[in-house]
Amino acid sequence: MVSNANILILFLLPLCSAGLIALLLGKSGRIAAGVSIASAAACLIVALRMLSHWDMETVHRTVTWYSMGDLKVTLGFLLNPTAAVLLFVVTFVGFFIHLFAVEYSEHDDARGRFFGGMSIFMFSMTGIVLSSNLIMMFVFWELVGFSSYLLIGHYRERESAANAANKAFIVNRIGDFGFLIGIIAIWAKFGTTDLLALEAMVSADPSKLQTMIGLLLFCGVLGKSAQMPLHVWLPDAMEGPTPVSALIHAATMVAAGVFLMCRVFFLFSADALEWIMWVGVVTAIYSGICAITQKDIKKILAYSTLSQLGYMVAAFAIGTAAAHAGHEYGVGASLFHLTTHAFFKALLFLAAGSIIHATHHEQNIFRMGGLISRMPWTSVCFSLGLLALVGCPGFSGFWSKEGILSLAWEHERPVFYALLAGVGITALYMARLWVTVFLGNPKTEAVGHAKENSWVMVLPLVVLAIYSVFAGWFTPLFPNSTLPILVDSIPHAPESMKVWLPILSFGTMVVGLVLGGLIYKSGGEKDNLETGLPFLYRFIQSKLWFDEIYLFYVQRIQQPIARLLSHIDLLVISGVGMRGIAGGGAGLMGQVLRLLTTGNVHHYVYWFAVGILACVAVVAGLS
Amino acid sequence: MSELLILSITIPLGMALLIAILPRKMPEWAAKALALIGFALPALFSIRVFLAYFKEGDGGFLYQRVVPTGLDQSLGIALRIGVNGISVVLMLLAAIVGLAAGWAAIVSKAERKRTYLVLLLIMVSGLLGIFSTYDIFYLYFFHEVALIPSFIMIAIWGGPNRRPAAMEMTIYLTLGAMVSLAGLIGIYVGSGLGSFDLISLSEHLASNPIATTLGQSLFGILLFGLGILVSLFPFHSWAPRGYTAAPTSVAMLHAGVLKKFGLYTLIQVGLPLLGSAAFRWTDTLTVLALGNIIIIGLITMAQRDLKQMISYASVMHMGYIFLGIATVSMLGAGGAVFLMLAHGLSVAALFHLATAVQHRCRTFNLDEMGGLGKEAPVLCGLFMTAMLASVGLPGFANFWGEFTVFASIWQWKPLILVLALTGIVISAIYGLRAVSRTFFGQPTEAFREIRTRHLVSDIGWAERIPAVILLIALLVFGLIPHWAGNPVEKAVAGIWQKQSDLNITGQRLDVRDAGSLIAPDEANESAPQP
Repeated sequence: MVSNANILILFLLPLCSAGLIALLLGKSGRIAAGVSIASAAACLIVALRMLSHWDMETVHRTVTWYSMGDLKVTLGFLLNPTAAVLLFVVTFVGFFIHLFAVEYSEHDDARGRFFGGMSIFMFSMTGIVLSSNLIMMFVFWELVGFSSYLLIGHYRERESAANAANKAFIVNRIGDFGFLIGIIAIWAKFGTTDLLALEAMVSADPSKLQTMIGLLLFCGVLGKSAQMPLHVWLPDAMEGPTPVSALIHAATMVAAGVFLMCRVFFLFSADALEWIMWVGVVTAIYSGICAITQKDIKKILAYSTLSQLGYMVAAFAIGTAAAHAGHEYGVGASLFHLTTHAFFKALLFLAAGSIIHATHHEQNIFRMGGLISRMPWTSVCFSLGLLALVGCPGFSGFWSKEGILSLAWEHERPVFYALLAGVGITALYMARLWVTVFLGNPKTEAVGHAKENSWVMVLPLVVLAIYSVFAGWFTPLFPNSTLPILVDSIPHAPESMKVWLPILSFGTMVVGLVLGGLIYKSGGEKDNLETGLPFLYRFIQSKLWFDEIYLFYVQRIQQPIARLLSHIDLLVISGVGMRGIAGGGAGLMGQVLRLLTTGNVHHYVYWFAVGILACVAVVAGLS
Repeated sequence: MSELLILSITIPLGMALLIAILPRKMPEWAAKALALIGFALPALFSIRVFLAYFKEGDGGFLYQRVVPTGLDQSLGIALRIGVNGISVVLMLLAAIVGLAAGWAAIVSKAERKRTYLVLLLIMVSGLLGIFSTYDIFYLYFFHEVALIPSFIMIAIWGGPNRRPAAMEMTIYLTLGAMVSLAGLIGIYVGSGLGSFDLISLSEHLASNPIATTLGQSLFGILLFGLGILVSLFPFHSWAPRGYTAAPTSVAMLHAGVLKKFGLYTLIQVGLPLLGSAAFRWTDTLTVLALGNIIIIGLITMAQRDLKQMISYASVMHMGYIFLGIATVSMLGAGGAVFLMLAHGLSVAALFHLATAVQHRCRTFNLDEMGGLGKEAPVLCGLFMTAMLASVGLPGFANFWGEFTVFASIWQWKPLILVLALTGIVISAIYGLRAVSRTFFGQPTEAFREIRTRHLVSDIGWAERIPAVILLIALLVFGLIPHWAGNPVEKAVAGIWQKQSDLNITGQRLDVRDAGSLIAPDEANESAPQP
């Protein structure tokens, strides 16, 4: 039962909410929050109803939106298994994060603007999930970028927040540069960007597939899912309020890149997939290592997000390549990890937000400590999310990571070892975080006086914790139709590895956890790695100088060129060049007129009229 | 409907006359009220005409009415009123921006306001005239009607450096106008028809095309003459200085609407009448247009003055429109017209809001602002919206124009698209930088001092209205692009249908499904390399 009314509600309700807040309620934060939450709740209910009655048949409805010659753009709705999974994740996680944000934003003067931005985000994200063609998807793709920009820069009076917002938007634009070319190339080659039509065309004639198109589309993913080398914006994006980091920069928007690839998996050729896989692997390892030396709790989680996105990207590439080669896997492992990650990473961020809220905006983990007794609910939820993230057996993250690892074991052995090492790294930095934040003694007074937040903030944590633990296998947690999609398409370990693979990954995880626990157990205000191995610490902290190189390019190359051109423009083109040209040849008249008019426009206008009359006279004579 | 077209031209003119002859003793509000009528009625009429055309238009000229001028017999000049799918869209643009700029002028603190309003009304009347006539002579005539008051207004009501700026602008633009007039007259003479009637000219030239060499020279003359008017690189230097010095309403009207005259004439007159002669110039035009996008784009990034930055940005965006024209394809021309509409609305909004910023910061210098978002959240929201619209955020009209142009370029020369697309990154950089320098962060020393001396308040309703009108229009055409796209598509399709019958190089040119006039390879053959 997918009625048009349902579709319209899903699209328009968040838009109306955003519009209403922007127009009327900017000043009244309380009502704005109510409107925004009501719309998120209604969307969740509609989505759940729709998905639980859905018969798994692909639903595809379109109307014409814009047409110019050959360029026909439709406004359309395409519900298939991939979209159904994401629709559930986005509306579900979205609603609970909205709920969490109510109390979190209590003392925010610009609460209305905050919830307006959240509603714009929900609108655009739903749009990406349900779009039936690439152009429409690009529209929403840019709009989520816009809402992300708005929300990262929410604390406007902070210089760093404004810079982070600009950085996020611009880096995403660089990715979209390639994405846009890719979309146009697809349109020119196939004559349409409708996903179903494209799939039919490619499957009818696989020779039409071009590596270039796949790589261009992947450029968009580089930006939105923050893969190397465009990953630099995501850690900075933590300047935004924590619910925003949870919703946009952990659970949903950054996963949109992976979703895009899953949605158009048929457009990627084997060569393109090879590239994509390595980008994912490198990102996964690199960001995991970066996380080890971060001190800001949100930045650690952000690097962790980058790393997990790398897993998803690599899994997508391996699975799709396998599917192209006739195996049965496809995008299942990637999509499943996306889903479980959305739950446990949203949980970790919200729990971090709960801590930050309770400790009066303390984000440095080395100034926290001893929170396990002060904030029991938050601590337990955080720990459950942590166990899911590191892939503790039984937790949701375990199942999804095992799917990825089995895929890699069977098809790309080197990748398997790299990703296995990644499991250890993840365990290491999470152990460091957990030990430092929750054990030991509080380092500041605010942390010492921290108290558990009210149930409005705890409830979302509990719900997400339940999903983080059980989402791997407990079917009733999902609307009827979506879990089978996930469970049936996840690769399982081959017979020979059935026992060894879990043992191997569990062993690596335990090693990571123990190592982290041992290094950081003393719980001082200093990072033990920093005092123990300062050289290694500083090398990791440099993060391979990506930011410095980009900054160098912008400040030392791009900006001077711009300034130089500006001077040339001022002096040569308008000063010497154009006046020089005006002095000779056809411009002689201009020069003469200038002499005649020195400073007085009125004279000039007379001369001008004379000129026109002369021209007219010439014409009259000619005709 | 043709009455409405005539009234749209005459009402502002009549109101200007009324205000001029009004006794000096009359209170100023009477002049303001008359001016408001002069700005608002044409806007209403234009919407009415647009809606009617949307319903019944087929792309060709409708609502025709010929007003004899006594020169019909001798020179073939008559005031021929009528709109087609292209001009009806741009007429709507002129009327909307006219209303917004008029409102801004009415509530502004300009001295000698009556004279100011009179000149502005004349300008609006000329602008509406440009887009509601299909007589080439009157097309040019109305352009001059709008252009001359703009010079005067800049020289009298402009900001710092207004005299040299007005001077430079006058020289450039008059030179450009003269050259393009020569081109238009060349078409008139070359056709041998003895008429300035666009419709009969295009019918006549379809069967008796102008000789190849002459046609190519004429298109070249038109291109450079009109190019100067549209600030084609490297003839752009009048624009940043002129707009920076111009009073806000003039900058809005000039950058938003009047500048579009050159592009409009190329699409409405140059392409249909001279046809494939345009191919001779596509390479040159492409290089220059890329200069607009990349070089001017980089220059825009280096600007420190908000108004100058917006002026440079508006020069930069002309590059996309020129590229659309350079593809000589239906898609390119259609995208160019859409982008003209969108750019006109967004640049007018930006100029208006930049002035509102200046009223609060007492400067346009970006290094002396900062943190204005705290005092003026609504202004911040409006300015950010207008800036993001102008950098092509989907949801606003600019996106569709740019996207269509990009698609047309890819069909033509993919490499050019890669170069042109760097513009979307460049524009994001300068756009967001301007927003954050103005509104975010902590106030600079200079602005902190201003705040101690003056009360900094948010944007009031009187100042808000022009921006709201323009932004609503941008949103409407961004969310429902079909409304503007449909008439334009029909019109360019009609032009290309006629073009397919043109037979200039001795071989019949095929209209490809792709919408390009002829295949790129053929184009290269028929166009001697410069």
